[in-house]
Amino acid sequence: MSFPQKVLQIANDIKTMKIRGAGKIARSAAEAMKEAALDYSGEADLVAFKKYMVNVAKLLVSTRPTAVSLPNAVIYVLKSLREATSFNEARNNVVTYADAFIRNSYEAVRRISEIGAKRIKEGSIVLTHCHSTTAVEVIARAYREGRVIKVYNTETRPFLQGRITFAHLRKYGVPVVQIPDSAVRYIMNEVDYVVVGADTVTSNGAVVNKIGTSQVALAAKESRVRVYVAAESYKFSPLTLVGELVKIEFRDPEEVVSREWLSKHPGVQVLNPVFDVTPPEYIDAIITEYGILPPQAAILILIDKLGWTLDSIKYSENILENLERIIE
Amino acid sequence: MEKSFRRFTGSEIVFDTIDQLIEIAKINDPASFSEKLIEKYERIMIERPSSMAVLNILRNIASYFVEHGLEGLVDHLSKLRSEYDAMLWKAADIASRRVTSGEKILTNSNSLAIRRLLKLLKDQGKDVEIYITESKPGKEGILLAEYAESLGFRVYLIVDSAVRFFMKNINKVFVGAEAIASNGAIVSKVGTSLIALAAHEARKRVFVVAPSMKFSYETIYGELLKVPEGSIELILEPERDETLPGDFTARIPLYDVTPPEYIDAIATQYGLIAPQAIPLLLRSIYGSYPPFVPSLHELFEKIKEKYHG
Repeated sequence: MSFPQKVLQIANDIKTMKIRGAGKIARSAAEAMKEAALDYSGEADLVAFKKYMVNVAKLLVSTRPTAVSLPNAVIYVLKSLREATSFNEARNNVVTYADAFIRNSYEAVRRISEIGAKRIKEGSIVLTHCHSTTAVEVIARAYREGRVIKVYNTETRPFLQGRITFAHLRKYGVPVVQIPDSAVRYIMNEVDYVVVGADTVTSNGAVVNKIGTSQVALAAKESRVRVYVAAESYKFSPLTLVGELVKIEFRDPEEVVSREWLSKHPGVQVLNPVFDVTPPEYIDAIITEYGILPPQAAILILIDKLGWTLDSIKYSENILENLERIIE
Repeated sequence: MEKSFRRFTGSEIVFDTIDQLIEIAKINDPASFSEKLIEKYERIMIERPSSMAVLNILRNIASYFVEHGLEGLVDHLSKLRSEYDAMLWKAADIASRRVTSGEKILTNSNSLAIRRLLKLLKDQGKDVEIYITESKPGKEGILLAEYAESLGFRVYLIVDSAVRFFMKNINKVFVGAEAIASNGAIVSKVGTSLIALAAHEARKRVFVVAPSMKFSYETIYGELLKVPEGSIELILEPERDETLPGDFTARIPLYDVTPPEYIDAIATQYGLIAPQAIPLLLRSIYGSYPPFVPSLHELFEKIKEKYHG
């Protein structure tokens, strides 16, 4: 099956991490679903169109195996096909739902920044890890309100997303000082709050996020520094409720050392996990668009706000297999 | 121009310093020797104020020089060199006994004590897997990985952020030290304290390989260990940093302090001891605690006065 160029482009950009960050990945996936519907060149037949959209969904979901926001966004759009009775209606539904998802996503980030900023006391120093748009929005808002006076941000090897965070925060005028990842415990004494984003929130409240997050949280806990995770509801993982383990992706060693070095040193294996798991006991609160949540109550969001995805995973833990059931 | 101390490990600076002083001592001119000695001391105090091994070596040399001048100094320096060499091997040997075949150990940076530990493990025929952190700033971990590879170990290189991720696979942690404080805390490459914290959380043992020469006598009297920070260039990555923000600001700590409660034992040339038992060790070496040790500052004031007054 062939897909429109724009869809392939987005899928590829997600795969190569040109598009990164759970929120951006989700919005881009919704956008790709919409483009796929608009550029559909097949037969104007409901069954054929549904089949085509499921295949687009599969293509998108398979680009990053661990980003839960990706299947959540895709399923949100895909389920709009359930009610459709004609081809035109189906196509319109996809566009409407995709737009709604993107709109809600931006609104969620705005709402989280409002709620999250309030949790930070005046004159505080915040530490953040990696690059999370949502975390940056919380910090920037807190800065405007006089709550944050300075930010330490980790450079976040191997990809150095910390440089992006630095520029992003500077754009809002926030004073930022970058530190190497190894200096997290060294600096923690000066820090009042840790604010990070999330890639995935599991049903028991553990947070899957950029490698290093769990040791930032550990060092914060040791220093009695509060840890806040800013996460939109579509980062909560329905699959974890049925016991699925979140797979941790290992990426190319060339992100860490050069190809030349690798070929000279075949005896050294470079292990490059992208994410780690921060246990709920190291997290003081998850800030969602619905409000502040103790991590252990993550299940509430899953049942009340993502219930529609739960229906569809009852039968199978394989997300790709589920995609077909969603539209039935 | 002398090369910077930065890439040197604490022990390498000891050997390098002694070697240079031997050369100068051979010239047999007290003024040029004292000049070199003072220059070494002042540079170390600025660039590596926490490198206690070399400071203690300088203390020893300065004491000898104040007392005997150049008389027998070359022999004294050579003896000092081989003594330090022997104690470093001995400390590594004692640490190596805590490792058994089949274990996975984690380490960081590129300390000479750890290199010797790995060498001994190889010589002992122990089949060990070694996890090494990249150790930014400086990425000395890459050099250690190359060395461990050359010895034929199975080596895993990980980023500094992945320490907690892999800690559950690890059996033991071994690190070197720049300095040991009187309460048993150690100064080591930045990130060491984070590694020790993650090990403690995972109930993995942490061993420091450090000869007693790394003890900071000044800390007995409340002096704080100096932990210098470096400049921004130390963390830049040329291939990724083409578009660095114009107002880029960073703090680059080079060392951090690991509290004694996260250290299970320090492997010294005298044996494996709890970090909190350091005073006991010093008492048995010197016969009393606190030990009588001349002040570096006073020694160098004396030398300055005598030769350059």
